[in-house]
Amino acid sequence: MTILFIETATTTCGVGLMVAGVADTLIVDRNRNHTEFLTDGIQSILSSHGLTTQDLTKVVVDRGPGLYTGLRVGIATAIGLANGLGIDLVGVTSLEMLARGAFDEGVRGDYVGLIDGRRGEVFAQHFLLNGHVEPLADPLVATPAEVIEQVKGLSSLTLGGDGVAKYLEQFQLLSNATLMPLEIPPLEAGLKLGAEAQVDGAVVPLYLRDPDAVANFTTREQR
Amino acid sequence: MKVLGIETSCDETAAAVVDEQLHVHSSIIETSLDEHRAFGGVVPELAGRAHVVTISSVVERALIQAGLDPHHPDIDAIAVTSGPGLIGSLLVGLAAAKGYALAWNKPFVGVHHLEGHLFAPLLETPNLPWPMLTLLVSGGHSMLVLQSGPGEHEILGETIDDAAGEAYDKVARWLGLGYPGGPAIDKLAQGGNAKALSLPKSMSGDSYDLSFSGLKTAVVRATEKQSDLAIEDVAASFQGAVAEQLLRKVRQALEKNEVGALSLAGGVAANSALRHGIAELAKEFGIPALLPTMEMCTDNAAMIAAAGLYRFQHQGASPMNLSANPNWQLVDVS
Ligand SMILES: [Zn+2]
Repeated sequence: MTILFIETATTTCGVGLMVAGVADTLIVDRNRNHTEFLTDGIQSILSSHGLTTQDLTKVVVDRGPGLYTGLRVGIATAIGLANGLGIDLVGVTSLEMLARGAFDEGVRGDYVGLIDGRRGEVFAQHFLLNGHVEPLADPLVATPAEVIEQVKGLSSLTLGGDGVAKYLEQFQLLSNATLMPLEIPPLEAGLKLGAEAQVDGAVVPLYLRDPDAVANFTTREQR
Repeated sequence: MKVLGIETSCDETAAAVVDEQLHVHSSIIETSLDEHRAFGGVVPELAGRAHVVTISSVVERALIQAGLDPHHPDIDAIAVTSGPGLIGSLLVGLAAAKGYALAWNKPFVGVHHLEGHLFAPLLETPNLPWPMLTLLVSGGHSMLVLQSGPGEHEILGETIDDAAGEAYDKVARWLGLGYPGGPAIDKLAQGGNAKALSLPKSMSGDSYDLSFSGLKTAVVRATEKQSDLAIEDVAASFQGAVAEQLLRKVRQALEKNEVGALSLAGGVAANSALRHGIAELAKEFGIPALLPTMEMCTDNAAMIAAAGLYRFQHQGASPMNLSANPNWQLVDVS
């Protein structure tokens, strides 16, 4: 198995490559230039292993939640690559990646993954890390204050992701929480999750929000 | 030489295979129009979402219809619209094109959407007598272009405000005809009196520039003042005024420039009044009129493949770090 991983859910763009179970990762760009540099990143990580796209057996992509434009660039590139080659394409979520990364680093107990959702909100999901990573709820959109309200009663927990970095001052007020601000979901976790995942239909972004026009239209209709 | 074209600049997801004789081997077009109808215009976020869902099947069908192996296609390059258009839509096609280029190790070329439209008439009429005068009218653009050969264009004039198609949509919305407005107004106009409303003559000077915003306002004012006007008459009068202005500018250009052919391009080229007027003008000046079929008027990927083929042969591939340019101007293409 030679697996390529594509990460474009946050402002940082990254790629990963797993060859015979060994993972390698590369941060491609930190300034939202996914369109410009993602393909460069894919080519460099492959060539540093003496491989080409023809050697790939599976493509894995972070399907979010995250920044919509970035997600679409990453997923469209993954679609072109995997369908062009005729190989498997699977999606993993950025929140699963955060939880898996924390688990692999030895974090245990309650864990909440937070991805910056802009507009003063985060994409969040609550997991329990014990013998394995267990999601306790579906991913959702919330303000940092709403997240704090939800978790302040827990005896202890860990918060991780770029959503923590973005709202560090607010989350620092939580006395029961250990904070793991990350600029990008851990690429190695994406590779591991992707290696285990089976193909499950077309890969589309996990948006969590309705498009603005639809949201406005629905509210107008309800009035 | 064969080129795979990909087009996602607005609400159409399209892919096509074209060869260097400009023979179209396949052309697949999917549109998310139905999702936008209720909003009275294309909603960019909805269009972007639809492209991600549709792109892979559209490309695969275009390859298979052209008799190519979708995993090892015998093509020489991939052409993709990289501007102008909706940024979120352009990026999906561009990113997918890069993915396919990486998979097959083929060069890729970014194409200007309007240059694509200018190539559309060539796909249906080979061996044209150049130079050619093209009236390019769509929902986003309205311009008069003089082409001395394929890929060599001079913009004689363009709209200073709304595009013709945009004016159609706005008037249709005002008349409660829904979106898109062009076909609805065209249909109503057939049964109306074009002289019922006296609308102002726009852009009477020597320049080839166009303007439709005043016309739209005049229609709104006239119908507010006179609520008993038949909607067919309003549609016919508006359509007549749009065609009058466009055809007057085309005539001016034909009088001042020696051309071998007259062509119509862009989505509004489906308009019956315009098609009729262009055919008449061409007859009068003794030159052939190129009136593309509906499929070639509206956004499609065959025209992108054709323009990409030309650019690839003359300038080579685009760099892999090419970005989309939603505001790319046609004058900057050379
Ligand atoms: Zn167009």
